Amino acid sequence: MKTAKGRWYKLDSAGVLYSALQTEEYSATYRFSAVMTDMVQPAALQQAIERVMPRFPGFAVRIRRGVFWYYLEHNDAPGPFLKADTSDPCQPFRFKEDNGWLIRFYYYRRRISIEVFHALSDGAGALTFFRTLLAEYLRQTGETIPQEGLLNVDEPPRPGELEDAYSRYAGQHAKRLEYLPKAYQNTGTPEPFYTFHVTMGFLPLNVLKEKAHSCGASITEYLSAALIYVILEKQHREGLHRERPVALAVPINLRAYFPTETLHNFITTVRPYIDPEMGEYTFQEIVAQVRHYMKLHVNRQELRASFTGNVRFTQNRLLQIVPVFLKNPVMALNYRLLGVKPYSCTYTNPGPFQVPESMHPHIARMEVVLGQATIPRCHCASISYENTMEITFAGTLAETETEREFFRFLVREGIPVRIESNRSER
Amino acid sequence: MAYCVNCGVKLNDGAKQCPLCGTEAWHAPTVEPPEPYFPLEPTRVKPESKRALAILFTAMLASVSVCCGLLNLILNAERLWSLYVIGAAVMLWIWFVAPMLLRGIPVFFRLTMDVVAVGIYVYLISVNQNGGHWFRGLALPILGEACVAVFLLSFLLRDHRHSTISTITFCIGGVGLFLMAVGYSLDRYFLGHWKPGWSLVVLVICFGLVIPLQIIRHVPSLWEEAKRRFNM
Repeated sequence: MKTAKGRWYKLDSAGVLYSALQTEEYSATYRFSAVMTDMVQPAALQQAIERVMPRFPGFAVRIRRGVFWYYLEHNDAPGPFLKADTSDPCQPFRFKEDNGWLIRFYYYRRRISIEVFHALSDGAGALTFFRTLLAEYLRQTGETIPQEGLLNVDEPPRPGELEDAYSRYAGQHAKRLEYLPKAYQNTGTPEPFYTFHVTMGFLPLNVLKEKAHSCGASITEYLSAALIYVILEKQHREGLHRERPVALAVPINLRAYFPTETLHNFITTVRPYIDPEMGEYTFQEIVAQVRHYMKLHVNRQELRASFTGNVRFTQNRLLQIVPVFLKNPVMALNYRLLGVKPYSCTYTNPGPFQVPESMHPHIARMEVVLGQATIPRCHCASISYENTMEITFAGTLAETETEREFFRFLVREGIPVRIESNRSER
Repeated sequence: MAYCVNCGVKLNDGAKQCPLCGTEAWHAPTVEPPEPYFPLEPTRVKPESKRALAILFTAMLASVSVCCGLLNLILNAERLWSLYVIGAAVMLWIWFVAPMLLRGIPVFFRLTMDVVAVGIYVYLISVNQNGGHWFRGLALPILGEACVAVFLLSFLLRDHRHSTISTITFCIGGVGLFLMAVGYSLDRYFLGHWKPGWSLVVLVICFGLVIPLQIIRHVPSLWEEAKRRFNM
């Protein structure tokens, strides 16, 4: 694993895919932000970045194109440097620019943001990194933050943090490739790729939880059902002759089912859906469908079988000797057919952002933004902190119909919503 | 704190309108507008530089051309066979390397340049075969017609600004008119005058295909039905 120049890492099977999808106008990117109670001190934040980066070698990397695969290489170039935030987040990464860094840091007034290229890590890994960064930043500003519940930046990284958990847990049986019917695509008028619209809704978590529980669902199930409901209604308003299923791509954090310390990717997606050709569904029925789908399909065996196929693909001896420039277009086409067409929208909920008690007075709320999709449609993501649930719709679509109807639906359900958007700032 | 009267959501104190539905927001005059929630400075990632790749391809093509040119001096020197290779290199350069260097050039100019590249190659073939007559009389008019057809079609269809039906209409119409012009050029070269024949049949077929499409496009009820049935 170690070379003369420095360390290099194989990409995990998810990283292989995200690298193959990279284009001039698209990178698999996401952003986490923490809105602090005080104005951000850029000098202290830059110091915190410099202290934290060596602790996370999986983030201190650049991506290299090998003959057969991309790989990650330790990046000893200067940086990454903190930048003032801009109006359009989650811009594509350029592998050869910004000294090859695949993680970005921004500040704006009270907000601290990180943007991560998805080949490095998933949301859970990035949130561990972000939690450590925020703790170190607060220490740099003179606050006393105890070590408990946080990674120690003075300790060397644990080997388990860098493991490819997909390979470790890949089983004997891969899920048979099944035909997924094309879903309603929920597209609209695209803006240029560098125009990235972000609309955030802030909700009281206790009210949302109460509402979800009254429907017999978890928050993720309730919000997934709400999203399916508004997209079904949108499709219905378009008056199509034959309506297509409305399906969500919902990433599942596999760490809950397969214990690992890894900070690399370890997720797979499930596909709750409603087929309107079966007849009309009430919202309660959609909630029940989504809930039952999750209960039926989110289990160790099925999750393991779903990622085993991807691991086998990256370990296939024959495919390993196919040059990367031939593999990339095939993988991109495969993603379009199996990862884009069968879905109407992505919804991800990394859950509550937990920090030690001593950090609570300094963080007001959390925000999450999923980067652009490969086709003009919006992505939805949510994150909760204390009693605030933040839900973001982000994309390059000119229209606001999906988010408008989604938030209106929540308001009609009796959940107060406060909206912020970079659309209104333009 | 303002609310959108349409959506019922709470808005930022500084919001001039609801970001969801565009309804104007009213704020009491005493409320000081706060700092924007999001930064205002836009950013655009720079396009990826393809200069290094373009230089590499240029060097490779130039090297091949020079090597073949030199070989031509000793091998079959009575014939300029290396022009075929040099012409192919020029054509490949215009097709693949020029777009890397001229990133901002509109697509309709780029496609027209591609046709011009084919023209250059055909010209070099004609030079090698002493074919000035057929080049001027036949190849040049057809290439000119192809240039006009490609330019107009790509200009009209730029940025996907037309509906699917209009795009199909333009394509069918373009093919029909181009083949009509080709037929005219062939007749002029071989017969000395235009004799309506196969090209007119093709044009009429294209015209026949376009009529129902345009009726569907311009009758609102049919257009709505087509959109519904074909999920357009």
